Amino acid sequence: MKKIAVAIAVALAAGSAYAQEKTLKIAGFGAKSGVVRSFGINSEAALTAAADVINKQGGVKLADGSSAKLVVEFYDDRCSAEEGISVIRRIYGTDAVVAVGPTCSNVAEPLFGILQKKVEDKGDSGLQMPVFTDVAIKVGLARISEWAFRNVPNEMTMYSSLFYWLKTRYPNTQNVYGGVEEDFAHSRASWYAVMKDRAEANGYKVVGNSKWLVNDSNFATQVREMKNANADIVAISAHPFTTCGVLKEMQRQGVKPKVLVGLTSSSSLETLQGCAKQAEGMIIPTSFAPVTKEGKAAAETTARFKGAADLHSMAAWENMFILKQVMESEKISGDKNQLPADRRKIRDGLAKLKQTQGLLGVTKRTEDREADKPYLFVQAKGGNWVVLHNPL
Amino acid sequence: MDFYFGLGQLIGVHTLLGLSAYIVLLTGQVSLAQAAFFAVGAYAAAMLTVLTGWHIVPALGVGSFLGAVTACAVGFPALRVKGLMLVIATLAFGEGVRLLFFNFDYQVAKGDLKVGPLGGEGFRQIRFFPEHGWTTGEVMLFIWVFVGGVMALLWWFDRSRYGAVLRAVGEDELAAQSVGLSLTAVKVSAMTVGGAIAGLGGGLYAHYTTHIEHASFNILMATFAIAYPIVGGLRNVFGTLAAVLFVQAFLVEGLRGLGDWRNLLFGALIVLSMNLRPHGLFGRRGA
Amino acid sequence: MLDFLQTLSDGVLFGATYALIGIGFTLVFGVMHKINMAYAAASIGGAYAGLLVLKALATAPAWMVFLGAFLAGGVLGWVVYAACFHFIPLSSPLAPLMSTVGMLLLIDEVIVHLTAGMPQNYPAMFDDVMLRAGAFTLRGDLLLVFGVSLLCMIGLLALLYRTRLGLATRAVSQQAVAAQLCGIRVARVNALTFVITGLLGGVAGAMIGASVGTLSPLITMPLTVKGLIVTVIGGLGSIPGAIIAGLLVGGLENVFQLYRGVTERDLYVMLLLFAFLVFRPGGLFSRT
Repeated sequence: MKKIAVAIAVALAAGSAYAQEKTLKIAGFGAKSGVVRSFGINSEAALTAAADVINKQGGVKLADGSSAKLVVEFYDDRCSAEEGISVIRRIYGTDAVVAVGPTCSNVAEPLFGILQKKVEDKGDSGLQMPVFTDVAIKVGLARISEWAFRNVPNEMTMYSSLFYWLKTRYPNTQNVYGGVEEDFAHSRASWYAVMKDRAEANGYKVVGNSKWLVNDSNFATQVREMKNANADIVAISAHPFTTCGVLKEMQRQGVKPKVLVGLTSSSSLETLQGCAKQAEGMIIPTSFAPVTKEGKAAAETTARFKGAADLHSMAAWENMFILKQVMESEKISGDKNQLPADRRKIRDGLAKLKQTQGLLGVTKRTEDREADKPYLFVQAKGGNWVVLHNPL
Repeated sequence: MDFYFGLGQLIGVHTLLGLSAYIVLLTGQVSLAQAAFFAVGAYAAAMLTVLTGWHIVPALGVGSFLGAVTACAVGFPALRVKGLMLVIATLAFGEGVRLLFFNFDYQVAKGDLKVGPLGGEGFRQIRFFPEHGWTTGEVMLFIWVFVGGVMALLWWFDRSRYGAVLRAVGEDELAAQSVGLSLTAVKVSAMTVGGAIAGLGGGLYAHYTTHIEHASFNILMATFAIAYPIVGGLRNVFGTLAAVLFVQAFLVEGLRGLGDWRNLLFGALIVLSMNLRPHGLFGRRGA
Repeated sequence: MLDFLQTLSDGVLFGATYALIGIGFTLVFGVMHKINMAYAAASIGGAYAGLLVLKALATAPAWMVFLGAFLAGGVLGWVVYAACFHFIPLSSPLAPLMSTVGMLLLIDEVIVHLTAGMPQNYPAMFDDVMLRAGAFTLRGDLLLVFGVSLLCMIGLLALLYRTRLGLATRAVSQQAVAAQLCGIRVARVNALTFVITGLLGGVAGAMIGASVGTLSPLITMPLTVKGLIVTVIGGLGSIPGAIIAGLLVGGLENVFQLYRGVTERDLYVMLLLFAFLVFRPGGLFSRT
């Protein structure tokens, strides 16, 4: 009986201690189901890991001087537009001050569409919730709404730099041939609007491209076109599954370009799991590799929370620290009754940022709410992504 | 509250999708083409509000009409194929329409931005509702006015001769023919009505998601369209509504707490419900 | 001209995989007059299960993985039968359709869960063998797939026309009630049909995995659609029809792609299907 009384007393004491602790909720969301589920799992791990570090360092300082601990709640949107919209509405109804996500570009586009387009437009009934994206990478999405911010690598900058570097490092390369997943909005845009454009801008001649669909399994015709073009550089704008299919077909038909370039999203474990041997030598620009002290620490901490560190999840990690900085500089109240005001403060704070601290170095923020992240080039070597060139 | 209104919008639109398949199922035709008519309505209504600045109501009307016209065009050749061949034929048609939209580019410059459908990249910024200041609750009520209207219409059909005629053809074509019913008229009319409902639903879908692309109207959506009336049962329209609630409110949102297991339970519960209630949650008429 | 021949032959060889899937769909339809929408998913599932052989023995040769897929396919076939057909009364034709759709979603999801959604490398045989005749090449591994498909067809036809089980199966497909009156256990025949098509499906899945080189649940849906199209073009219930239709679709698909590009390719496949539905609704070999 006495033991129970002591236990109850301790529980009550602990409970009241918890009750005094202030919390700030940050909602994460992304794809935790389906073929892209590793993205959601890693993002959640990175967000939780970052929150843990911040909390251990004292949490976030509120306007009234007290500190609040960060709490992360992660929602699965299953990479579906309708569910993403449902999720953001659900998040809006909670006391989360900001949302970090989504994973899929086809969710981001509709989702940004239901946000209020311009903050000063009182007649616009769109949702007023700041969304800070970690993964969805299709070019130009943050422009859709003034409440949308992204911390994703700028493919234009990276591929421009890559083709420039390739021209100097391999001066005997003259032309580029592309391979593109035609029915997937992101990869399609990345070829036509980014890779092709930037290759030409850096003095390369684009001699053509082959197209396929995102779940195709037979690439013989496309690779034969590639073989006939006999270009020095082959650039594949596709996700791991079809990239592997094409690479295997290239091996079969004996297509060996001087340089092989891939899509940023494919610089992940998936490609190596599917076709490490055939991907050997592929060069991809990316915004994360554990080359700095901070990067290594972040990767280790995230691993403790059962997530892998790659350019996507580490963007989520960076987001947490950026948000902490913004919340403190904008002096948010942490008061549940002032939620709309707090959300607006975070939005304004994010909009004001000219640069943020990333794991690879300083990241510039652009006028249209995108990021210009420091990047490096990685190459597939022996079943791993190894840093090939660090422009920093 | 906003979340519940949003969920209400989703349930309303999905109910329209299900009802478009329901009326066709009554005549014994399993149509996997409803997503195609949905897509036609979506693109049509969206193009009218975004590219030419129409008000949403006439835009939805045109979307629904075009859905009906497409369905009518499908209805005639569909007469030639029976049973499971029809399933495959409508599946192929649905995929064909999706591929047409995949190849469809029609962009117009508005200010410094180009708007309109762009093939594989989709059709963005269909923002009639937020631009005109409609709240989430208002959009939900707007959608439900249409859903209520369609449900009332189908309920009325069921209580009238037309409903009896539809179900007679569904039960036994030979018997129906022998009492003088025109199979062509019945089946094609049901298909056309289904297409009109789907076109309406599609127009609403485009406006409440603000972004549509060919991949949204895939086989999965076509499967959901027939899943709702099959899981709900063909007794009456409420079966379809119950199934939409079961899937979207319970399985998708309600089980969110189960995290990873939600997706597994999804397929498993559909298999289970078909084993336990093979004629649907509400059962069939006269059983 | 060479391009055309090369493309056509590539497509025809790859079409052997469609033929295998088509056989599975058509056999179930022939015996039970129902479509098993989960068939392609179960085949891919069988292929994945074959990879478990590699987990047990990392240096296992490719044919052991294929054998594993073959057996796993059979098991999955039985599971699909038990979950989606056995308990549902025949008077509700829509319920098995829907339950197999639920099964398709479930199998896909199980695969995603177990592999964290990542594409898996699949072993192949003869994938480095390329037979050449000048500029014309034939993939060695696709010739193997072609050969395996032919063997399966011969094996299946032998089973159907030379064994008692085959006789019982044909009897049930023609007249289930009369077959029952002759003492044939219909439920058992149905279950065995699913096991047999499952075994076939496992091989099909393994062959597809081997010829693509990587496996991902992304290919389930397109494979289901192609398989259904092949079944209809070949004639519902006809095994030789499914084989020929599979090769036809495989070859023509590649030819469409050559001339009209990948974005319009599938449109033409659909038009091909519609042409058959309009002019020859029974398919190539319509069952009388």
